[in-house]
Amino acid sequence: MSEKPFFVGYLPAPGPLRTFLLTVCILLIAGLGGAGLLMGAAQDDPGPGAFRFDYGRQTVTGVVELTPYPVIHVTEGNDRIKPGDSFLMTAGGKSGVDSRAEPLDGQLAQVSGVVLERGDLYMLQLRGGRNGLQAAEGDAPVITPEPQGRWKLAGEICDGKCLAGAMRPGRGLAHKACANLCLLGDVPPIFVSTQPVLGEEFLLVTGPDGTRLPREAYDYIAQFITAEGEITKRGDLLVWEIDVDTIEVTE
Amino acid sequence: MSVKYIPVQWNPNKWIYDAVMLAGVALFLWVFLYVTPEVLSHERAINPQIHNARAFGACAFVMLTVILCIGPAARLDKRFLPLLYNRRHFGVMTAFVALTHAGYILNWYFAFSSRDKLVGLLSANTSFGQVAGFPFEVFGIFALICLLILAATSHDFWLKFLTPPIWKRLHYLIYAAYFSVAAHVSLGILQDQKNHVFTVLFMLGAGAVIVLHIAAWLSERRETAAKDGAWAEVANVGDFREGYAKIAKLANGERVAVYLMEGKLSAISNACAHQNGPLGEGKVIDCLVTCPWHGFQYDVRSGRSPAPFTEKVPTYRVRIKGDMVEVHPDANPPGTYVEPVPLPEPEPEPDTPEEGATA
Amino acid sequence: MDVATALVMAMQTWGIVGALVAAVFLTIGIDRIDEDVRGAYIFRPLLIPGVLLIWPLVLWRWWQIETERAAWADRYRPVRASYGLAVVLMSLGIIAVVIAGLSVRQSWPADIAPVQLSEGAGQ
Repeated sequence: MSEKPFFVGYLPAPGPLRTFLLTVCILLIAGLGGAGLLMGAAQDDPGPGAFRFDYGRQTVTGVVELTPYPVIHVTEGNDRIKPGDSFLMTAGGKSGVDSRAEPLDGQLAQVSGVVLERGDLYMLQLRGGRNGLQAAEGDAPVITPEPQGRWKLAGEICDGKCLAGAMRPGRGLAHKACANLCLLGDVPPIFVSTQPVLGEEFLLVTGPDGTRLPREAYDYIAQFITAEGEITKRGDLLVWEIDVDTIEVTE
Repeated sequence: MSVKYIPVQWNPNKWIYDAVMLAGVALFLWVFLYVTPEVLSHERAINPQIHNARAFGACAFVMLTVILCIGPAARLDKRFLPLLYNRRHFGVMTAFVALTHAGYILNWYFAFSSRDKLVGLLSANTSFGQVAGFPFEVFGIFALICLLILAATSHDFWLKFLTPPIWKRLHYLIYAAYFSVAAHVSLGILQDQKNHVFTVLFMLGAGAVIVLHIAAWLSERRETAAKDGAWAEVANVGDFREGYAKIAKLANGERVAVYLMEGKLSAISNACAHQNGPLGEGKVIDCLVTCPWHGFQYDVRSGRSPAPFTEKVPTYRVRIKGDMVEVHPDANPPGTYVEPVPLPEPEPEPDTPEEGATA
Repeated sequence: MDVATALVMAMQTWGIVGALVAAVFLTIGIDRIDEDVRGAYIFRPLLIPGVLLIWPLVLWRWWQIETERAAWADRYRPVRASYGLAVVLMSLGIIAVVIAGLSVRQSWPADIAPVQLSEGAGQ
């Protein structure tokens, strides 16, 4: 064993060791900086979803339909939201508007809020209480559901709000717990199809016969799956009644 | 050493250590938080809260990786020992960075809900029966609790209070924590990320930790040639160098450092009373065995620290049988004086420095 | 009460008990068991988080020291022997979990097209 420099914590480091340690320190600092750059720059694009505060507050009138997630079929629109459009709604945060919408099922209502938009998908985050959703005067047209048959689709179940832009990124497995929490709070779930179905990439996904997305489906949220179920067109919104027993995780 | 406790026993080396560490961490976070958003040309930026959470999470992983590499690196190459010196500050800093990551996650993904945030965190995802979609948050929670325990018990008081073996066992949680972090990352962000740069860096980091630790463990196993029987063999008489020790591993797993000082052999426990540092890898400075980790000193004949310090380590009996130096495996109570055994033919070589020059 | 709420309550209870233990230990207990502590007060708040987290261990050690139950040799028993076990378990665990994670990793099944299985009633 040769005479090696020996470090004692409270004494200055011996000369030869000092050069070594200086090199290590510089490498350490540079390495941390480099790691920060590489890791930070490796993040994926979170998609185009966003709150559109720039559109301003939107106030429109339409028919409330419970699918069971409340949908508005617009009868009286504005320059951005046209009559004939159908859209979903949420309250502030991770909650739906079910309690407010239920008494108004089939009736005309005025809704007001801010738009969340991702491509063709948009929904409205309503203002609180009656400011966001209130009964409106007038006769409500009857919305006839149009059955589109049974379909097998591939894609991902997301919570509609985060997907539409409340969070970027707002889908995927790292976001699964958040998505579950949104759905537990009655935010409407959206199925993102790999390829357009009847012209639509995004479908509202529910359980069979007008029920909510079954709890058994929660294990598959944010995973890429195939499943079967009936599609119904309600206004211009596609509603897919997913058959949980047919869900399969893709490769 | 002993004498009254103070929050931190600062000295110039600790200032330098902390400055380097803070510079590295600050650079990582600054680059991640403020430089990469410019580099990423996304149509719409990642939410700041998510970006921050990722920055602190990634930083905690990198820091933990560095910390876990220091130990085995120092075992394999003694020049890394100074990095071990103030590692506890590095660890405490890591716990704070990890806590910040958890804070961003909790106050973003689990906020805005009618449920309590912590209840939401623990109840939102219950898919425990599957690998993909497993609530990977639980691994993060476990690792964070481990890091907090380690950081909170890093003061010297805890070492003395819990005793080094219990303290050391508690701090073995770091290995569980690192596994847990790997699981947290593997079942979390790795499932989503399409850009594989992070995946590669993550595997390189975890791989380095694994390789270094296994290498250190294997080299340690090779070094230890323990034998059964009453007296344990240490080394040949001729192998001893003035001011340095040979380490013997006893059948019961304990280690003994046998020092040659002033031509005489003395044996003390290899475990420093401070943090179980390897006394046998230290050397004699000013007639006192000096621990390579934190510089605690002992009189090699009695295992006692010089006044005013009160640390004591057990001593062992030494004998010379033929050409072989042996120790008796039964330790004497800490601080027991044992008469040093002179080497049969003390022939101090001319080029061997006496008294271990302090350079 | 669901499991998550129970866990959060258990955590809060743990913390409250820990705070009580910290209050007693750091004002009375610590002076009784460690002479180096006497007269040193500034460092004591640093110990609070540790007591909150591992108070059962604190109580156990306090009791051990008060009753002088621990054998002196225990202090010097190295735990290095379990180092190998710890790192081997950690290494195997990491390798297993990374492989498991990467093997279930999915890519977006863009090539799977929607298939209509039956006609709608109105079509």
